[in-house]
Amino acid sequence: MIAKNHRHALLVVAALLIMPSLTWGSGFALFEHGNRGMGMAGAMTAVADDPSALFWNPAGMAFQTDEGVQVMFGVTFIMPEQTFTGSAPYPGDGYTDSQIEQTFFPAHFYLGIPVNDRLEVSFSFSSPFGLGTEWDDDFLGRYISKKADLFVFDLGVSMAYQLSERFAFGIGIDYMVVDIDLSRDIGLINPFNQRVTDVADVRLKSDGINSAWAWNAGLLWKIGSGFSLGAMYRSEFSITGEGNGTFTQIPTGYPEFDAAVGSFLPFDGDVPIEATIDFPDFWTIGLSWQNEKWTLSGQYGVMGWSSFQELPIIFPENPEFSSVIPENYEDAYQYRIGGEYRASQHWAIQLGYLFDETGQPVESMSPLLGDGDRTGYTAGLSYYTDRFRLDVGYMYLETDGRSTGGNSIDGFDGFYEGNATLAGATFTIKF
Amino acid sequence: MKKTILITCLVALLAAAPAMAQVDLSNYVALGDSLTAGFVSGALMDFYQDRSYPAILAAQAGAAGFEQPLVSEPGFPPILELVHLVPVPVILPVGLIPGAPVNAALPRPYNNLGVPGANLFDMIFTTGDINNLLAGNTDNVMHDLILRDGIHTALEQAIGMQPTFITVGIGNNDELGAVLAATPIDGVTMTPVDQFAFLYNNAIGALVTNTSADIVLMNLPYSTTIPFATTVPPFVDIPGLGLTPLMGTKGLLTPNSRVTLLAGGLIAQGYGLPGGPPLPEDLNFLTGEPGYVLRPEEIDIIDDRVDAFNEIIAEVAATYGLPVFDTNEFIAEIVAGEAPSYGGVVITADFLLGGFFSYDGIHAQRIGYAMLANALVQFINAEYGSNIPGVNMAEVLYEGDWQTPGISPAGAKDAVLSREAFEEVYNLFAPKLGNAPRIRRPQSDRSDLPTVDLRRKPRSTP
Repeated sequence: MIAKNHRHALLVVAALLIMPSLTWGSGFALFEHGNRGMGMAGAMTAVADDPSALFWNPAGMAFQTDEGVQVMFGVTFIMPEQTFTGSAPYPGDGYTDSQIEQTFFPAHFYLGIPVNDRLEVSFSFSSPFGLGTEWDDDFLGRYISKKADLFVFDLGVSMAYQLSERFAFGIGIDYMVVDIDLSRDIGLINPFNQRVTDVADVRLKSDGINSAWAWNAGLLWKIGSGFSLGAMYRSEFSITGEGNGTFTQIPTGYPEFDAAVGSFLPFDGDVPIEATIDFPDFWTIGLSWQNEKWTLSGQYGVMGWSSFQELPIIFPENPEFSSVIPENYEDAYQYRIGGEYRASQHWAIQLGYLFDETGQPVESMSPLLGDGDRTGYTAGLSYYTDRFRLDVGYMYLETDGRSTGGNSIDGFDGFYEGNATLAGATFTIKF
Repeated sequence: MKKTILITCLVALLAAAPAMAQVDLSNYVALGDSLTAGFVSGALMDFYQDRSYPAILAAQAGAAGFEQPLVSEPGFPPILELVHLVPVPVILPVGLIPGAPVNAALPRPYNNLGVPGANLFDMIFTTGDINNLLAGNTDNVMHDLILRDGIHTALEQAIGMQPTFITVGIGNNDELGAVLAATPIDGVTMTPVDQFAFLYNNAIGALVTNTSADIVLMNLPYSTTIPFATTVPPFVDIPGLGLTPLMGTKGLLTPNSRVTLLAGGLIAQGYGLPGGPPLPEDLNFLTGEPGYVLRPEEIDIIDDRVDAFNEIIAEVAATYGLPVFDTNEFIAEIVAGEAPSYGGVVITADFLLGGFFSYDGIHAQRIGYAMLANALVQFINAEYGSNIPGVNMAEVLYEGDWQTPGISPAGAKDAVLSREAFEEVYNLFAPKLGNAPRIRRPQSDRSDLPTVDLRRKPRSTP
């Protein structure tokens, strides 16, 4: 007679437990859209003199009409590392763990086609958002996240036009496709031994093509005496995606408890889910100077993370599991400084430095993403001929260690510290 | 001019106070009842006594020699265990033979003077004699076990310890009986408000006057929100009829009525169901049989009494300048499902599955006591500017209980909490019929009354 009441109690407990607090910040924004640009710390808005301009400033393509048809493609390998040190009350002082090391390799592909000597039409494929985190099976934050992968693919078409010899603009539209895969455990108190016990593994995975449209625009003004001024804007976009939740029971060794858990968690098949994610807009403004041998560039930008205030995850057929998670991100600024030295007809090197503020409030730091302000040191090497170009880039990115200071909304407090090594190669062919 | 100097001095003193604030738990004494004693699943047992909130608090503060009236496994009375969860939970005592005192020869009072079943009157006036218990008499078992010398009350023993730090968590049993018997009666199942005020003022006054300890008072949670009163719904789902209200001796139960955990067995026998006898709602004075139904107006009466006690606690604290830990708010958050999450695990007040309460539906289990201790650590740190480390909840959450009970087919009964399991607990906490303490004083002049002199040097026990 109280079975019904228990079921209700379990549902309430489960509803609290099923939703990860899905969070991302700079950690999910990717700025790797060409390895020459990466070598210059991404300070490309006022440079924009190769097809990676399609990310950093589409107006730059209008000044590349004399290059002919350009195909640029490459990949950047990202190898992040992160350690977590716990504090009381959970998971407690002295607890430490590290993320499982993974390598990600977002690719980029650009095709620039000059229509006449003032107008260029371009197509692009890149990943403006991405990355993932993964922890050991016995990680004490496993009820928040065991493994998380998020990728946004951007298929873009863009047009750039030279209004005068010195001034150009570019506009583009982006078809954004998001792919998400999140896994975690559900922990409940086993009433037989009063111990937190893993009763299920939950996997939330996007299904089919979940997409949204976005747009971008840029201006590039060649002021003279080698100076250029550039500005770029990429719009925010919101994706309401559909997917499936898969619940897999973990036997506890207590058949009666397993039976009780089985009475309220949908182990007998996938259940539909819906989630809406508001991705931020991004603008940059930059100034560069160049002569025969040198390019020097600096830029400032703001990522509008304040768009990311909450994350609703809806279970249309199991409304008791639905929830809205507060995120409360704030806008974050970044600045990037880079330079290139063209040593000869065939060789060039790049160097750069960047600072990228996090938009993540400490309360939202979690095993899914424990972000902090980032500082990056970059270098690059290029070999080029008239028809062919190879760019190799490297970046060491350090994330400032940050503590949740006892404010974690997941009740998972501690200190996150990490870094990432990035390296990649980009080929450009001109026809 | 003189006034200015005086004020300047006062200001200087007040300003200096926070900087001088230093809390010393090296000689910590906890006064209270079963919650203070670390009573879990109907028993006092060493495994859980070691995990009582005062013991955790002392350990976190690095205080050595925090002594408790430990009882060996399986506790006294024998601890309850969950035998079955489905189709209906079955909870039984683990055995018939209780554990024995293992720290009774300690030649000084215990640091943990929480006495299960004790109300405010008991804390001040009731003594206990270990020889009575060892002789096999169980009429005053908890006081005999904990106070031992037959002379000094808990309050007197606390003063005799000359502690550096004291917590006082008393008063739950001044109204809990109204919930356990589902019958609020002033002076019988609930201590009269003016009596509580008089006794509380005097007890705290005695501690303030006769010790130099830092004293933290703890107020009282609503006993009507414990699983004992919130688990069994006032209706049953009958195939063909749907949700059907239970029938009580005063008529059909309204949806906002509460049925006590103890009624589960009776309902299984047909009580309250169509065609069956009505569920007894109130305490039967002839048989001593408890009632099983709390009507909304009864819930209000009990909650109002808790509010009145808490107001008195706040007033007395203000009089003596003592901080009050808000136990009421602490429990209310857990009941509301708003307790802090531990890495995605949220402890709730739900019976069996929530994690906070033990198998008796009244007392916390070790996770709950650890949470209380952690909240106290935070409170003390904020109050005294100390830096006592927080409790490592991961260790607590994964530790497990005192044993890992096997699932035994034996004793499966169609009951939520078996009668025999509950009786032992009920006997300790039931309203004391016939001997309810009555000390009535005019409420108007209670503050003028002299403080009772309770200072006596406690004698060491054999």
